[in-house]
Amino acid sequence: MEQARNYVCTECASAVPSGHKFCGACGGPVPAEAQTLDTQYFGAMQMPGKARLIVVRGDEAMGEGLSYLLQATEHVAGRDADQIPFPSDTWLSPKHANFLYRGEKLVVRDEGSLNGVYIRIRGSSPIQVGDHFMCGQHLFRVDATPKDSTGPAPDQTHFYSSPRRPSAFRITQVLEGGMDGIVCCAHEQTVEIGREDCDINFPDDVYLSARHAKVEMTGESLKLIDENSQNGTYVRIRGERELGHGDYLFLGRNLLRVEVTA
Amino acid sequence: MIVCSRCSKENQDHYKFCLGCGAELPRDSAKPRSVSAPPPPGSSTGRTTDAPPARAAGSGALASAPQMEVDPTPVQPAPPEPVAVADPLPPELAPLSDDTSPCPHCGAQVPENFRFCHVCGHDLHDEGVGAGSAVAPEERVSAPAVAEAPAASLARLILIQPDGSEGEAFPLSAGPTLIGRSTGGIFASDAYLSPEHAEFRFEGDQLVVRDMESLNGVYIRIDPEVPIELFDGSVFRVGQEILRFEAPTAPDPAPDGTQHAGSPHHGFVGRISLVIGRDATGNSYPVPPQGIHLGRERGDVLFPEDGYVSGLHCRIHSEVGHVFLTDVGSSNGTFVRVSNESFVPQGTFVLMGQQLFRAEY
Repeated sequence: MEQARNYVCTECASAVPSGHKFCGACGGPVPAEAQTLDTQYFGAMQMPGKARLIVVRGDEAMGEGLSYLLQATEHVAGRDADQIPFPSDTWLSPKHANFLYRGEKLVVRDEGSLNGVYIRIRGSSPIQVGDHFMCGQHLFRVDATPKDSTGPAPDQTHFYSSPRRPSAFRITQVLEGGMDGIVCCAHEQTVEIGREDCDINFPDDVYLSARHAKVEMTGESLKLIDENSQNGTYVRIRGERELGHGDYLFLGRNLLRVEVTA
Repeated sequence: MIVCSRCSKENQDHYKFCLGCGAELPRDSAKPRSVSAPPPPGSSTGRTTDAPPARAAGSGALASAPQMEVDPTPVQPAPPEPVAVADPLPPELAPLSDDTSPCPHCGAQVPENFRFCHVCGHDLHDEGVGAGSAVAPEERVSAPAVAEAPAASLARLILIQPDGSEGEAFPLSAGPTLIGRSTGGIFASDAYLSPEHAEFRFEGDQLVVRDMESLNGVYIRIDPEVPIELFDGSVFRVGQEILRFEAPTAPDPAPDGTQHAGSPHHGFVGRISLVIGRDATGNSYPVPPQGIHLGRERGDVLFPEDGYVSGLHCRIHSEVGHVFLTDVGSSNGTFVRVSNESFVPQGTFVLMGQQLFRAEY
């Protein structure tokens, strides 16, 4: 905020020292442009360190290609939000997510939304029982294998069950409306999702790759692995997550890209 | 047939090892006898009833499945009458007598040296073997003898053996006949039967079966190409697979109007889940309105490892808001679990525990 030196008052031609807003001799104002030497950006979007969100696939009412510059410290997105509104997306809670800066870092925080915030994984991501993830248009949940309940009844009658095979975990599809759909128990240690030749196949989902993603158990831990799918695999964040340039997020039906200029 | 002395599984005469447990079977027992007689109850009391017959070996648990489709083993040609059967008795017991006399209770031809009727379990001892007296059976009676007095049997449950041939026949009288593990005879050794499993009775000239809240239920084979309505919780069996139909249940939207996100769909009429425990289901498959087919090789839901499922077995579809199960001509049939009570038309196959029967009357 350095003021131009050698400013000469246009009223009385006296020299005005740096930092003064009025001429000491005649009281004439120093124009705003002359008070600072800072170079301005042509537009706020050029400002470094500020992120913006580009709507890649969007709300019907708001359209695609919109971008939101995250200039403030907090920016709430939701069906009812002022800053980043998606009024026609019924999958969004009124206040769904908050984009905020922690120091220099941009962070997204799930504001206790019903349907959550999903981030595209890069390669693979650890995942736990209870976590949700998306492939193409489909939503899934990781579930534990239920405890064996085939032991004999108190009267020593044995329970007749369908043939069982050992299964480390299972993947449950979550249908629009909240019902559970397909349940696939892991065969060996993996469940693979895609359009064909996988454990769970959706031949008519044009947003899925042939082999899209898989969940794998190694030792005691589960991992979600994207198999270089075209549209990516998204995992629901827990609490908040730091964002970087090029991250993709799903908020309801809206797909957003994060851009952070260095 | 040869009854394994270790696991009580019945094996065909030419078997050298038990289908159920793999134990070596006695060779000399394959010598045919000219009497159609399974082991009398007296000899079966020595069976261990606390351990279920091994399921992994296959056909033991598959009473529902007379013949495995992919099994290349030729079926034994039907032996000439009288049916030649192996001596099922342990060596220490006397061999079967060639002479028979009718059981006073059920009329079956019983070898002279049997103490109990091999068909109905009637105690022949007190009245002398084959005496044919009309003395009422004792209190300690096994299954079919539950009926009061030696009532004339109106119907029979004919045991269908794993190879598809017919086995013993159990008489059913007009009054209620209780069947279960506690009623003795062949039922005593079936660990998948509840102590009191099912009750048969006549209503007019129709046979009725009632599930006595048994653990594993009573299943009735449905006629091919005749749709049977499914309700929430309906259970049916295809090959070795037990499946449950569940009506769709969606949670309410959130109070703020937010709807539950998820995979897009055009509405499902329900889903079917594989039953793998009392409180556990395994794989589940949503049923779209246009329906799905189940089979071993073709269809939407496949059981490639279940040799008792036909290539294309059955289908589930909906019409005007109701959901139906239809057998599409499978070899081994589609069975639905009886909910409380059901009529059992003449010739119907009934599955209880590990055993398959055909009702004849």
